Amino acid sequence: MKLQLSLAARYLGRRKLRTTLTTLAIIFGVLLIFGMNTVLPTMIAALQANVQGVEGQIDFSITNISGESFPQEIANRLQNVAGLRAVSASLNRTINLPADYIDRDPARPDTLIAVNLVGVTSEDARSVRAYAIIEGRYLEDSDTASAVISQTLADALSVKVGESFSLPGASGLTELTVVGILPPNIMPITEEILVNLPQAQEMTGETDRVNLIDINIEGFADEARRNEIQQQIETALGKNYQVGTLTAGDEMFAAMELGQIGLSVFGALALFMGGFIIFNTFRTIVTERRRDIGMLRALGATRRTVIGIILAESLLQGLIGSAIGLILGYLMALGIIKIVQGPLSLFINLKLGAPVISPLLVLFSVGLGVGVTVLAGLLPAWNASRITPLEALRPSQAEIDVKRKTGIGFIVGMLILIVTTFVVLSGQSALIIPGGLFFLAGLVLVTPALVNPLANLFGPIISWITVRQGIGGLAKSNLKRQPARVAVTASASMLGLAVIVAAGGLVSSMTGIIDELMLASFGSDYLFVPPSVMLWGSNIGSSPEFAQDLREVEGVEEVSTFRYGATTTNGQAVSLIGIDPEAFPNVSGLHFLKGNQSAYKKLASKRTLVVNGAFLLAIDAKAGDTIELQTTNGTVSYEIVAVGMDLLNAKVTTAYLSQANLETDFGVTEDVFIQLNLAEDASREAVKTEIWSLAANYPQYKLISGTDYYGAMKTQMDAAFSAVYIVFVFLAIPSLIAMMNTLTISVLERTREIGMVRAVGGTRRQVRNMVLAEALLLAAIGTFFGILGGMYLGYVFVTGIKVLFPLGYYFPVSGITTAVIIGLFFGLLAAIIPARQAARLEIVQALRYE
Amino acid sequence: MSIISTENLSKVYGSGATTVTALEKINLKVNSGQFVAVMGPSGCGKSTLLHLIGGLDKPTEGDIKIEGVSITQMPDDQLTELRRRKIGFVFQFFNLIPVMTAVENAALPVTLDGIKPADAYKRATKWLERFELGDRLSSRPDQLSGGQQQRVAIARALVADPTLILADEPTGNVDTRSGDEIAGLLRDVSKQYDRTVIMVTHDPRIAAYADRIVFLKDGKVVDETLLDRKNHGAAAVTRMIKEIGD
Repeated sequence: MKLQLSLAARYLGRRKLRTTLTTLAIIFGVLLIFGMNTVLPTMIAALQANVQGVEGQIDFSITNISGESFPQEIANRLQNVAGLRAVSASLNRTINLPADYIDRDPARPDTLIAVNLVGVTSEDARSVRAYAIIEGRYLEDSDTASAVISQTLADALSVKVGESFSLPGASGLTELTVVGILPPNIMPITEEILVNLPQAQEMTGETDRVNLIDINIEGFADEARRNEIQQQIETALGKNYQVGTLTAGDEMFAAMELGQIGLSVFGALALFMGGFIIFNTFRTIVTERRRDIGMLRALGATRRTVIGIILAESLLQGLIGSAIGLILGYLMALGIIKIVQGPLSLFINLKLGAPVISPLLVLFSVGLGVGVTVLAGLLPAWNASRITPLEALRPSQAEIDVKRKTGIGFIVGMLILIVTTFVVLSGQSALIIPGGLFFLAGLVLVTPALVNPLANLFGPIISWITVRQGIGGLAKSNLKRQPARVAVTASASMLGLAVIVAAGGLVSSMTGIIDELMLASFGSDYLFVPPSVMLWGSNIGSSPEFAQDLREVEGVEEVSTFRYGATTTNGQAVSLIGIDPEAFPNVSGLHFLKGNQSAYKKLASKRTLVVNGAFLLAIDAKAGDTIELQTTNGTVSYEIVAVGMDLLNAKVTTAYLSQANLETDFGVTEDVFIQLNLAEDASREAVKTEIWSLAANYPQYKLISGTDYYGAMKTQMDAAFSAVYIVFVFLAIPSLIAMMNTLTISVLERTREIGMVRAVGGTRRQVRNMVLAEALLLAAIGTFFGILGGMYLGYVFVTGIKVLFPLGYYFPVSGITTAVIIGLFFGLLAAIIPARQAARLEIVQALRYE
Repeated sequence: MSIISTENLSKVYGSGATTVTALEKINLKVNSGQFVAVMGPSGCGKSTLLHLIGGLDKPTEGDIKIEGVSITQMPDDQLTELRRRKIGFVFQFFNLIPVMTAVENAALPVTLDGIKPADAYKRATKWLERFELGDRLSSRPDQLSGGQQQRVAIARALVADPTLILADEPTGNVDTRSGDEIAGLLRDVSKQYDRTVIMVTHDPRIAAYADRIVFLKDGKVVDETLLDRKNHGAAAVTRMIKEIGD
């Protein structure tokens, strides 16, 4: 063993550059596993907080059973409850505004009749909810008589940052200065005025009292853990307090859990890539050292000794790489947390502490690092042991072996690809994630056989670019001589890029559908919104005349209304939305999950319903079923003709039907929500004035511009998605290392040839371009497979998430574009060092190189 | 007229205690069309001399002129172009690119010069046919014998029509019969096609094909002789080597 180790150490020392590069692969693998796993729980918690915050989702909210306020010290009782991430106590009071408070015009009733005064401890509040200030700043502890309000309220009150408005309170009028503006409210809710807690207490005369405690708990608590935490909270507070769960939580947590599984899959992929890189290096080491090994065998070394040398080498590298990887991984975790803290703090007040080193994770990472390295060295070591002394003195025979093996691999790979394609088409959700991994494995197997055809495919392009230099063809043949190595590199970069394409697919699918829904729900030019959107029943509607008046306004093209009715089926409450099947699709629209636009026609003709996803979940029914709806005159049968949703009713058990049927069976003729579109050539200002004057007679509605709401909502959504990309970009880096490793090996291996090319008149530029061309080809092949794998993975993700959220698969144009750009860019980046090295070779030394 | 002239050409490797003087004040003139063999024991500086003349390496001191132009201070790109157009190299280990066919290998210098592949292959084919490799044009190096590979390498050296051919132990890696063939071929190159050939060898039998032999020892020219084809066979050259070696 001593011989093996000392030989291994010397070999490693002799080829410093390659040793460094291979070790780099191990370092990166360990770094990724250790660093990511150190930082991810924190990141996920942050992400969760982010999403929860943006959506205003709270895990638990505590109130006094009397409904009254209580001393704010009560919150301190929660200090010893484990598992709480953030606690915010606040005082919430509705302030009714005098009738002519806003416009000082008693003749015209205000649309704003009440506001919520919310007193908070600024930092605490920001840890449970996101306050994305768009202008000015957030509240500070030292602020007095300062308020943060939404753009919508600021517009209603005609105030800007720095200006004041007054509010009636227990001690008379109070002047509040606006210090910050929040985005316009998406849902028409009672506007909030955010002030510091003491300010609210003073204005309401409730010194040192609060009436609500919002709590968010640790990330990924499953249901049992949530119950446990809830119990601890109840015990800590005593029986006078009730703990309410405000979230529609479950879907959210299911989505989060899916996210965590996804990240673990990415971690595994990263490890896989590391393994590829190491495997490539050791295979090259063995090929390169054939003579040495043959000589050792000639001198009497046994096969075991030869295996021992290679494995000792991988063990040494594994240990060194893992050690450095651990250190860098920790630093990376530290760095990421530092970097992320900045942008994150814009959304939410989440203090990320220093990463915690878990001894188990250290062991696991080192075990994986060394394990993968030794494992990757095993096959090359075995191959090395098969080298006969004679064989070592002849030119390499390895190529033929590789070709024979790629034949079998190709067939097996193709079979896997075919089977997995069927799996994903079958829609069996349980098989989908393993199917995705198998698909990638299939691609890895198929790759070697496709390297030559692909090199031939992309080669002419490269040759065309480099036509005057006579090196494109050389680069192509260089790649083709090592199809196995190229395949392994392409596989490694494929995995990285596949993740990008998949992520792109997922994000564009999600943004696609949400965008579609938002456009459908808010896309009309003007909306007449009642005080409560989801609780339609509490709204005072308007008679059909109002809508008719609106239709007659010059310049108004189409008016569509919602009418609301309530019913039950099988004892379940159902909210009925009556639409005009003709006008509705022109102004707004449903997103169909089953069925299509033709459903509107069916709605007009018979007793039919379009139901939403929530309906399907609540009532065990599917499209095509006939259900009984309760009316005042007994039950009537309705057929479900399609499944569709809109954003306004997404969370409520809803069935859409024609207004005619709603009138016949349920006697409803009142409009509760009105959308209208203007004609293309309408004079907007004139129409607006007329609509406004008509609206004055219906103060129950708030008139808003659909475009403004759509814009505000889109901005928020984009912000929420941007965080997802950061994680994915990280996984693309192993592709870079893999390509760099292969190119460097390839340059080292061809040192003498490069010397010859230089000797017979190749310029440094030509040699550099030759390596660059090779890199581009390599990258093109990797990208090709990456896109293929990524499209599949993306489809898998979308299908997986579909269970929870109705996504359509959008072709990942952005993901593919990103992958192509990143792939080729990485190719060039990876080539920089090897190309320089090749160009700078001393000719005489290169010619002597063995 | 001398195509090559060196003036006090020296090459020193390393520094301090480990200094090795590979060449010391070499003054050498080679006339156009001459076939020169450079001989000497291992480590005498034969290959170093060839590398310096070929512009593959820079001298520590002294000057080299090719066709009257000094190449010592030439920038790399200009030197590369000179190598590509004026000089052809033949190496001991052939240094053919294994993934390229015979004709592609032979055409490499002109391909690198930006000549269209079709024209480049035509020129390479012409030389390969002259060297009786017309039927092996699309064979890869591993499908050729050592002698055949070296003939491809010589075709490669000639394809750009250089005036000077530098051959470093061209027969060192082939059997005796092929060695004779190669040496004969290089003599033809010199005589029939009027090129200047400088060949490094340690084999007296091979050196006997040359017009002139330069003997190097410890980095210095210790002797040189013009060969008379009638009186100087391999045996005579071997004798001369013995004398110098003593």
